[in-house]
Amino acid sequence: MKYILVFLLIGLFSACIEISDDLTLNNDGSGTLRYKINLSASKVKVNSILALDSLDGKPVPSKAQISAKINEFVRILDAQVGISNVLVEENYTDFIFKFSCDFSSIRNLQDGIKLSIAQISNEKITTGADQFWLSWDGNTLVRSIPAYVTQQIKNYKLEDAEQLKEGVYTSIARFERPVASFENKLGTLSKNQMAVMVRTNTFELKENQHLLDNTIVLTPR
Amino acid sequence: MSQHFKMVLGLVIPALFGASAQAQLKQVQSEQLLPKDAVTVFSINNISLLQKISMDDLVNYEFMSEVHQELFDGSTSGKTLKDAGLDFNQRLNLFYGKSNKHELTGFTFGVADKTALFEVFDDFQVVESPLIGLEIYGTFFNQLLIKDNLALLIRIEPTMEHIDAVTDSIWYARGNEMPFDFFEAEPQEEQILDEQTFEDNPNTNVFPEATENPAVKNYYELRDSVQVMLQQAELARVIDEIYVKGVNLYNFDPRFATQLTHNAEGVFYLDNARNLDKSEGLWYFQTVLPTLYKDIQELYAGNVILGDLFLRDNKVDFEVEAQYGPALGSIYSQMNDAKFDQNVLSYIPAQSPAYFTYNINLEQAYEQAYKVLLPLLSDEKNAQIAMNVLTLELLNEFINKEALFDTYKGSMFGTFNGIKKVKTKKIEFTYDEETFAYQENETETEAEMPIFTLGFTTARPDVPELVLKHMARLSSRIQCFENYWRIDNAILDAAPLYILNTGKLLILTNDEDLARLHPKGYGKDALGKKERKAARDSGFMYGFVDIPQTLDRFPTEVLTPRNAEIISSLKGKSGQLILTSSETNTAHTTFKLSYTYEGAESTGKHLLDLVNSLYLIYTLNP
Repeated sequence: MKYILVFLLIGLFSACIEISDDLTLNNDGSGTLRYKINLSASKVKVNSILALDSLDGKPVPSKAQISAKINEFVRILDAQVGISNVLVEENYTDFIFKFSCDFSSIRNLQDGIKLSIAQISNEKITTGADQFWLSWDGNTLVRSIPAYVTQQIKNYKLEDAEQLKEGVYTSIARFERPVASFENKLGTLSKNQMAVMVRTNTFELKENQHLLDNTIVLTPR
Repeated sequence: MSQHFKMVLGLVIPALFGASAQAQLKQVQSEQLLPKDAVTVFSINNISLLQKISMDDLVNYEFMSEVHQELFDGSTSGKTLKDAGLDFNQRLNLFYGKSNKHELTGFTFGVADKTALFEVFDDFQVVESPLIGLEIYGTFFNQLLIKDNLALLIRIEPTMEHIDAVTDSIWYARGNEMPFDFFEAEPQEEQILDEQTFEDNPNTNVFPEATENPAVKNYYELRDSVQVMLQQAELARVIDEIYVKGVNLYNFDPRFATQLTHNAEGVFYLDNARNLDKSEGLWYFQTVLPTLYKDIQELYAGNVILGDLFLRDNKVDFEVEAQYGPALGSIYSQMNDAKFDQNVLSYIPAQSPAYFTYNINLEQAYEQAYKVLLPLLSDEKNAQIAMNVLTLELLNEFINKEALFDTYKGSMFGTFNGIKKVKTKKIEFTYDEETFAYQENETETEAEMPIFTLGFTTARPDVPELVLKHMARLSSRIQCFENYWRIDNAILDAAPLYILNTGKLLILTNDEDLARLHPKGYGKDALGKKERKAARDSGFMYGFVDIPQTLDRFPTEVLTPRNAEIISSLKGKSGQLILTSSETNTAHTTFKLSYTYEGAESTGKHLLDLVNSLYLIYTLNP
C-alpha cells in the first residue's frame, strides 16, 4: 500500500513530497507500521489543485471525499485478521497524513493491506498477488516492492522530474535487538545499532524501484 | 446536431483563410439566402480576406485533416476543401435562428463546381423541388438548396414543445388514452431495463404498445411522423419566403445589410431582442406573466450586437457595437456616466503584463434601473412579484444609498504582476542519530505564487475599516500594520492577503511589496503617460495583456504538466491584446479588441500556426 500511495500522490500532485515508512519489528514477528506523507512544502500547489473542479478531465476530490476514503480504508484494515490499533491523523492545513497500525505477524500485515486495497479500490489484484514483499524468519528481514506496484511504477509517466528530485523517501526498520548486517548500500545504522534507515529522493525511486530493497540480519538471540 | 455544428465550424476556419488570391469581387449574393429568422450570423467575406495564405498551404496543416473529416463526414477520404467546389468569390454566411416552433442552423455559400461539390457532399440525395430552377438535395438531417450557383445548407429542427403539442393534439383527437403510465404506484424503471419482464408482462410496459394493425401508429411512431411533417412544412415555408417572396434577413433587417457593406473580413450579427424573444429561459414569463414579458421585450427592443473582424498587417481587430433601444440605453448610459478615477493608475506598475480598469457609476445605474424597471414590475398583478416590489421599495426607502454607493462606487481595477516567491512554512521530518527517533520541525520555505491586485474606488474608507477592525477582534490572523491590514494564510492556506485602505481606494493584493513599499502607489514606476491616456480615454473599460510577458511570468508550477506545455508552446508566438470601449450613450456602446504581434509572417499564417500548435498538443497528448 505504501508504494501505491507514494506513486498515487506523486502522480496526483507532481509536488515536493516527503514520505516516511517506519517498521518496528518485535522478535516474535509482531510489530507496528507507521507511515507518514508530508506535502507541507507543496501546500500552495495542493491547495490550488483542490480548488479546481477537475484536472485533466478527471474530478478533483474534495477534502471531505479524501477523508472519507481514508477512513473507509482504516475501517476495512482494522477488521482484518491480526491487525489492530489502526490510527490515522489527517492535517489538511499542512497536508500531513499519518497512519499507523499494529500487526501480529508480517504475513497478517501484508494480507491485511492487500485485501484492504482490493476492497477499497473494488479491484481484484492479480499481478503478483501471491508475492510477499516482506519476509521474516526470526533473524532476517527481507523487504522488496510488490510486483503489482512495480508494474504501476513502470507504467507511470514521468512528468515533473525536478519536483520529484526534491521529494524524500525515508524507510526505517527498527528491531528489539542489534543489527548484525544489512545489504542496501544507501542504508545507515543507528548509533544504538537497533535500527536501519534508507533515504532516497522520489525521482531515484521512480527510476529504480528496487532502491528500497534490503536484507537485514540481526544478531543471534 | 453536434455533427452538423462541427461541420459548420469546419467551414469557418478554412473559409477565413481560404479564398483564392486572384479572386475578384462579384456581386454579393449568398447572403440573400439567409432566412429572416436567423438571429445570429457570422458572414465571412472571402474576397476581402485575400489570402494571407494559399489554399495549398492551408490544406497541409495537421488540423485540417480533422476539419476535412468533419466537413465531408469522413466518407470522401483524401478530399480537401480545395476540392469541395465552393466559390470563394462569394461570402460564406453561417447562421443560427430560433422561432417558438423551430430551430434553424446552416450556412449559405457560392458554388463554383457542382460536380466537385457532390463528390465531397456525397451522401445528399435528390429531393423533388416545388420550384423550377431550384434544386433540393437532402440527407437525414440536412437540406441543400441550390439555385443559380448559390447554395443554402439548412437544418430545421422543430422544438420538442411544438412536436409534443401537435402530436398530443392528434393523438387525443383520435380518441386515444394517455400514452404513459405515469400514475403507476411503483416505479417501473427496473422493469424497463429487464428485457424478460418486459416481454413476459406487457402490462408493466410504460411505453405505448405497438398495435396489431400496422396502419395504425403508436404514440412514438405518430410523434416521429409529426416531426418529419413539421420539418417539411417549415422547409416549404422557408423556400416560399426566400425563393418566392424574396424575403430574407438581408432585406428584413437593414442593420445587417449595412454591416455587410463594411470592408471587413468577417461580420458578426446578433439580434439580442429577437434572441430574447425566443429564449426558452423566459417561458415562465411568457406563460405566467405575459404583461411583464411584453414589457421586457420592449426594454430590449433595438438591442443588437454588430461586429467586424479585420485582419490587418500584424494585427487582428474585432470591433463590436452594441446598439440599444431608449429604455435599456438610458440605464447603460447612466451606468457609464462615470468620471475616470485616476487614482487607480498609480497602482498599476509599468511592467505589469496584464491589467484592466472598469469605470462605472453604480449609483446612477441603480437609480435609472429603479426608475425604468420598477414601473414594469409594479404593473404586474402577481402576488410574488408584488411582494418583491414592496421589498424593493422598502429597501430603497430605508437603506442609506449614499453610504452604500459611496463605499462601493462601481469602479475598479485589476493587475497581474507575474510571479513572486512568497514565504510559507513547511514541516520537515528529522531523525536523531542515536535511535532514529522522529521529530517534526517547522521551517520556512518559498513557493511561487501569481501576484494579483484588485482595487475598488471608495469614498467611505471608514466602512471597510470598521469591518476589518471587528474581524481582527475575532481572529488573530487579521492584523493591522501602519499602512495596511494583513490576513495570514488567506491565499491557498499558505500566503497572506494584504488590504490597503488608502482613503480613495480599497486594494486587495497578495503582493507584499505593494503593501509594504508602495502604499501610496508606484510613483514613477507606475504606468507611463501613453498607457495612462489609453486607459483614461477608453470609456468604461480598458484591458491590456502582453501575452509573451504574461506567459513568461505565469507560474507553470501551479499548472498541470500538460497545461504547462501548452503555455510553453505559445511563448514566442503571441503578441498583445488590448480591449477598449467608447463612451456609452443611449444608442450604443462600441468595443474593440485588438491583437497585435511582431514578426514578418502574415496575419493569417500567424493565427493558423497558433491554431495548429494547440491542435498538435491536444492530439499528441490526449
